[in-house]
Amino acid sequence: MNTYNMVKQEFIKKWITTLQTLDSSVEYPSNVTERKNAIRLSSDIAIAATRSGSTVWSRALISRTGNKTTKPHMARRILRKARSRMKNRCSTLRRSGDFTARVGVRKRTELLKSLVPGGELIDDKDNLIRETLDYIVYLRVQVDVMRTLAAVDSVTGNL
Amino acid sequence: MDLTGGLVARSGSGGMCRESTGLESLHLVDEFRQLVTLPSENAGGSFTALLELPATQAVELLHFTDSSSSQAAVNGIGGDIAPPPLHSFGTLTFPSNSALMERAARFSVIATEQQNGNVSGETTTSSVPSNSSANLDRIKTEPAETDSSQRLISDQIPCPSQNNRSGKRKDFEKKVKSSTKKAKSSEENEKLPYVHVRARRGQATDSHSLAERARREKINARMKLLQELVPGCDKIQGTALVLDEIINHVQSLQRQVEMLSMRLAAVNPRIDFNLDTILASENGSLMDGSFNGTAMQLAWPHQAIETEQSFHHRQLQPPPPHQWPFDGLNQPVWGREEDQGHGNEHNNLMAVSENVMVGSANLLHPNQVKTEL
Repeated sequence: MNTYNMVKQEFIKKWITTLQTLDSSVEYPSNVTERKNAIRLSSDIAIAATRSGSTVWSRALISRTGNKTTKPHMARRILRKARSRMKNRCSTLRRSGDFTARVGVRKRTELLKSLVPGGELIDDKDNLIRETLDYIVYLRVQVDVMRTLAAVDSVTGNL
Repeated sequence: MDLTGGLVARSGSGGMCRESTGLESLHLVDEFRQLVTLPSENAGGSFTALLELPATQAVELLHFTDSSSSQAAVNGIGGDIAPPPLHSFGTLTFPSNSALMERAARFSVIATEQQNGNVSGETTTSSVPSNSSANLDRIKTEPAETDSSQRLISDQIPCPSQNNRSGKRKDFEKKVKSSTKKAKSSEENEKLPYVHVRARRGQATDSHSLAERARREKINARMKLLQELVPGCDKIQGTALVLDEIINHVQSLQRQVEMLSMRLAAVNPRIDFNLDTILASENGSLMDGSFNGTAMQLAWPHQAIETEQSFHHRQLQPPPPHQWPFDGLNQPVWGREEDQGHGNEHNNLMAVSENVMVGSANLLHPNQVKTEL
């Protein structure tokens, strides 16, 4: 109970900071998609920063978000540090058509690698699973926090 | 005791979801059964007993035992989970049960410490699960706090817990018999990068197969742990299907993040919406005292008025870029902002975040918030 809540607190602190920074440094986005992208970007950076350091997926996530956007100078600075550690770029999501049991572990491992940011860089299946485990936990943190915020927003309405 | 329940559940799942590794699997199932009987023998320190047993001969015994012990803990919690309470949106499928997430978060934190420690064996960090809960919380917060100080903190872990954990044995059969034996001479074993295994009956004994078997077992342990984390996964046999479930889970979580961010973007005209909304909602709810914010609650009403202006004020000054060092992105950031003369902001934000999180932890429903407002 305690650790999870503390992780969520860390995440929301960083997310709020990121949102503020984005809003002040970026010109005002007009449509929903841009706003959504900005929110998603800031949330990803914040969640990766909450999990700072030792996981491949957090570094890869920051590197990937830094690639996608040029405006947030924060992401750029982080990217400069992260790029020196990352040898590869993280490819985009590779959706599989139909995976049946006959395809086997190999293909699924590759798909999992494409899902988890930075997964392609991990050769060891053991480490890949560990990274996935970690990533799942922090994804849940992200979803929980965003869901709570959405609940708050739906109640209070636009302000 | 949920640990006992966890062991039972773990033995059950271990028997079911066992990879076909021949004699290995049989031995491991037996080992799990031994595990079930073990806690009854050990009066105190059930965690240490738990840790001593799950033996298998892993390369880095710490990692494996961590995963298995956490897995047992996760199992224990999983056994106690009531049907996951549906979120108000009715979209919740996986358990937002905080206890399960606590275990999972704990595991991720342990994994962090493991990675940060030495390659051969982070004895100190691995001894975390065997500590008391107070230590657990302390250790758990470390990776969230700073990376650099992890090794320092881990060094401060008391020795007895190290000895308890250092029973990573070479011979797991011996372990089963001498369950109460805590301090073995295996502290130096942990520090060595060698694989200390003893071949079971009928198994090949050359180093390659031993290492291969150890590696396979480690992977299997992690797969089981992932099975615990991903809901509905323990009934599946075979690595491919388990990976399928995990992939689906990750994809669904990512899609949820997408949709939630789209929803947040649609509701609010600005990006930094949540500050004002959180402040507005939390203002009323905090005044009512419905949140168990304790000390924060006392500080909140006094500063409620100035928070609005102070937050807007801070908006105009974006934090300096070097507030985002890649590692240790946490307390230093806030310390710097306090230096800017907005100390009370920090407390308010803490109150905000804490209460928001408390709300989510208590499965805050919108109706609840509405009545408080």
